[in-house]
Amino acid sequence: MLRTPLHRALLPCVREALSVSRASASTAPEKIEVFIDDKRVLVEPGTTVLQAAALVGVEIPRFCYHERLAVAGNCRMCLVEVEKSPKPVAACAMPVMKGWRVKTNSEMTKKAREGVMEFLLVNHPLDCPICDQGGECDLQDQSMAFGSDRSRFTDIDHSGKRAVEDKDIGPLVKTIMTRCIHCTRCIRFASEVAGIDDLGTTGRGNDMQVGTYVEKMFLSELSGNIIDLCPVGALTSKPYSFTARPWETRKTESVDVHDAIGSNIVVSTRTGEVLRILPRVNEEVNEEWLSDKSRFAYDGLRRQRLISPMLKVGGQLAPVDWEDALVSCARALVEAGPHSAAIVGGLADAESLIALKDLFNRLGSEQLFTEEQFPVDGAATDLRSSYILNNKITGVEEADLILLVGTNPRFEAPLLNARIRKSYVHNELDIALIGPQLNLTYDYTHVGEGPDVLKQLVSESHPFARKLKAAKKPMIILGAQQLKRPDGAAILASVQQISQKLGKNKDGWKVLNVLQQTASQVAALDLGYKTNARSILENGSNPPKVLFLLGADEGVIQRSDLPASTYVIYQGHHGDVGASMADAVLPGATYTEKQGTYVNTEGRAQQTLVAVTPPGMAREDWKIIRALSEVSGYKLDFDTLAEVRLRLEQVAPNLVKYDEVEEANFFKEASELNKDASAKLGNESFDVKLKNLEDFYMTNSISRASETMAKCVQAVMKQKQSKYYEAQSA
Amino acid sequence: MTSKLAKPVVRQVKPLLSLDKEEARKRALNLYKAWYRQIPYIVRDSYLPKSVEQCRAKLREEFEKHRNLTDIRVIDMLVIKGQMELKSCANKWSQSCHIMNFFKESYEQKPKDFLSKFMDGRP
Amino acid sequence: MLSHLRRTISSKFLTNIRALRTTPAVTSDNLFVHRDSAEDNLDVKFKFTDENLKRVDAILACYPEGHKRGAMIPILDLAQRQHGWLPISAMHEVANILKLPKMRVYEVATFYTMFIRKPAGKYRIGVCGTTPCWLCGSDDIMNVIRKKLNIEIGETTADKKFSFYEVECLGACANAPMIQINDDYYEDLTAADMEEIIDKLQKDEKPAPGPRSGRFAAEPKDALTSLTEPPPGPGFGCRQDL
Repeated sequence: MLRTPLHRALLPCVREALSVSRASASTAPEKIEVFIDDKRVLVEPGTTVLQAAALVGVEIPRFCYHERLAVAGNCRMCLVEVEKSPKPVAACAMPVMKGWRVKTNSEMTKKAREGVMEFLLVNHPLDCPICDQGGECDLQDQSMAFGSDRSRFTDIDHSGKRAVEDKDIGPLVKTIMTRCIHCTRCIRFASEVAGIDDLGTTGRGNDMQVGTYVEKMFLSELSGNIIDLCPVGALTSKPYSFTARPWETRKTESVDVHDAIGSNIVVSTRTGEVLRILPRVNEEVNEEWLSDKSRFAYDGLRRQRLISPMLKVGGQLAPVDWEDALVSCARALVEAGPHSAAIVGGLADAESLIALKDLFNRLGSEQLFTEEQFPVDGAATDLRSSYILNNKITGVEEADLILLVGTNPRFEAPLLNARIRKSYVHNELDIALIGPQLNLTYDYTHVGEGPDVLKQLVSESHPFARKLKAAKKPMIILGAQQLKRPDGAAILASVQQISQKLGKNKDGWKVLNVLQQTASQVAALDLGYKTNARSILENGSNPPKVLFLLGADEGVIQRSDLPASTYVIYQGHHGDVGASMADAVLPGATYTEKQGTYVNTEGRAQQTLVAVTPPGMAREDWKIIRALSEVSGYKLDFDTLAEVRLRLEQVAPNLVKYDEVEEANFFKEASELNKDASAKLGNESFDVKLKNLEDFYMTNSISRASETMAKCVQAVMKQKQSKYYEAQSA
Repeated sequence: MTSKLAKPVVRQVKPLLSLDKEEARKRALNLYKAWYRQIPYIVRDSYLPKSVEQCRAKLREEFEKHRNLTDIRVIDMLVIKGQMELKSCANKWSQSCHIMNFFKESYEQKPKDFLSKFMDGRP
Repeated sequence: MLSHLRRTISSKFLTNIRALRTTPAVTSDNLFVHRDSAEDNLDVKFKFTDENLKRVDAILACYPEGHKRGAMIPILDLAQRQHGWLPISAMHEVANILKLPKMRVYEVATFYTMFIRKPAGKYRIGVCGTTPCWLCGSDDIMNVIRKKLNIEIGETTADKKFSFYEVECLGACANAPMIQINDDYYEDLTAADMEEIIDKLQKDEKPAPGPRSGRFAAEPKDALTSLTEPPPGPGFGCRQDL
């Protein structure tokens, strides 16, 4: 454990050695021939027995080994026989040698496995019937497959089994430490991936236990992943506890919308209820991790929901039928005509975005805005390169220097941050930050606080400019929230100029990256939404007569900003800020209830699938808009999802190329067009919205409605009171 | 090459009952006649609240529904089903309520256009 | 009659199946989670004395840059010598010196039985209970301690003079049974020797460490019983042609 500090400290000499070994390896990639169960396989030198076996489809049982974590080799479940070796070897840790004949099914291997399994089970409680891991437990499965078929354990006095006290590590992870088999996966995850060294083993031998030693919660934005990693039921999900067995649930593959990363998820449902959300492997997006908000905010999907259309009657919203709601909304829209405006929030799918845009365009209005603001000067959002993460998430692993500008990826995009940390640990990536001092779980150079540093970097008068120039594959990640500032355009322009300079002679390596905050933003900009929502107030003499809020809950426009005569229509799924200021409420569907297209911050189109039906009278969002268009007499010409997507394809073909990233170009042109703006840089330091862990949990209408997320915030506050809380590490 | 060699093959399907169109027509007519003759007895025996004329009109309507069928096998299958129905009426296996099902037209049509589907909450 | 016979046979047969015997799980006398107590909490501050800080620097100098965490055990030991035992704040101090996460220090401090994480007496008696010592009568030694000091394993006398621990093998098996008191080994003990040692310590006199059987160290008790001839020269036992 904890190779990281060593690595970092060894940096200069190790790097030298690595590059040398890498060079020699690349010149002579001699492969080693080994035989797994008499099947010949050629592998790279340094491949472990377990990996070599995986290449020919032989699976070796394991508990402690995990592809994405360091090798520990302490469970001994992967023992296999190697011909001419007197003892069985641990397959996960042993590199293969030339000509080895590995036998994964021999008598010796079987006996070794049975022995290991027997010892594990001696100290493991037989409480599978009340264990939440039951049905998806590695220990259960492997004892069926590889264990002995009879027991020699006799303990009629019930005196023998080890018992360990449970730990309180927070509101998300439930611990039953007696079930722990000491695989140390959670410890390695905490140390290597999450970057919070709070878990460890204490004691030795029979007394050994996994925990925090002092009374302290394991609070990380990625803590839920240790539940998936735990091969037994020692770490289980607290909100999901005693809810369902895995075979009872229906699984729907979907996409997460809580941040702009678009993590791939599996939604487990039973009887029309979302029971839990698990990550789905996608190497290019989330690997196999998931942030806590994406994983645990699902209980917000059934609280504070809008289940029926509502109209304001005598100052109060009262539930009405769809006919009434549609008719009064349609009347208001038709009356307003071109004087109507729309603002879309962060959770809208591309289907509803295109439907809304088409409807408003037919009404004669071009006033369609995203809630997230973006500069409108120069090229603005006309060129895609200026608003997406051009290097893609996987680009982080190739980069050798990352400059973060006014962003806190740890809480804005936890999985991007996990990638950066991965690269920091394994690839010797260097990170620098312009903005407030943050704890990013890795070391970084703090270059400065405000835009003045950008100015110096453009003119190359800052000492850091030399370092940037020396980097082979530099990446600049600009937080989209900085673009809301009055000098947002100038910030974007300066970063574009720096990137433009750095990107020269790097054959296609892009430097500029913008990290968006919400799931809908890229799709909305691709479809041509405008970004300066506040401008509807500025043409003072002519405020909108109808304001249509599509899930806009961040309060960009307050009720008090609008004249009393403005008719506000809110379409969305939660009774949040937007619904409270509306004259008419149209209940929509959440991301688990509709088949919708979302484009993540890289420009990768992905789709959610229907896991459950919308509650009550709620409907899928594009259908509401389609129905509204018919009632108002501006009928949109699509009736089915396929037809909507056909329309999407006409407008922006990349939106229906699922799981593909449409790359952007015209960097130079974008930079040129924005050039004028760069002079207007302000002096105010960058500030980020999500600074601490407690800010992370509640950021949108779903997570604000979630009880679990509220408990998390409480837990962080409680932890801060504790004497064992360390501000710099949490 | 293979596509050139492959000649268009007239698929010979196994007949259900009739070998040609004429035969199928005869079977349908026979069924019609049999029903036509049976209807007075059905009305009398089952105490149907319909007159013989109404029932014969219904009979004609049911046959007219399938007027445009050309597939011999489909016609045959419908004839077989009609015979089964007739048999169960004649043998009083079908009771008046079952027979009255032919007259029932009050069930709700599924919504077809977008807006009614939307109001109905159908996918 | 027959059924009875069958029963006896089967019971006989059953007893012959090798059973995995289990004894009640023996856990050590220590707790492996931290509980705040009057003596051991974060408000009890720990700072190395100036003299010891110099020692810390000397210890750190032994380890190359990047491997400073190797100094953890010596520095923890130094902290324990300064404070008499190892409070949580001392572990934190060590973590700060080495710039390591605190958990990594907890792991080491709980792993080794030599680190004592609760207040201990002036003389810490560690009796080896591992097989060779146990065979040679470590139980007798323990009984003497129990009787004379009226404490159990893991306890400290009321006058804070003695603490009594059972420890694992200390590597002096040739001189079993043995005990360790603070930094000294007392070997080849008998019950009488143990009594004498405790008596002397009660009076704060230092009993002579080392074997009590008259041996100098771990040499054979009488004469050599093996390896008595002079060692054979090179090539012994090899094939002629080599």
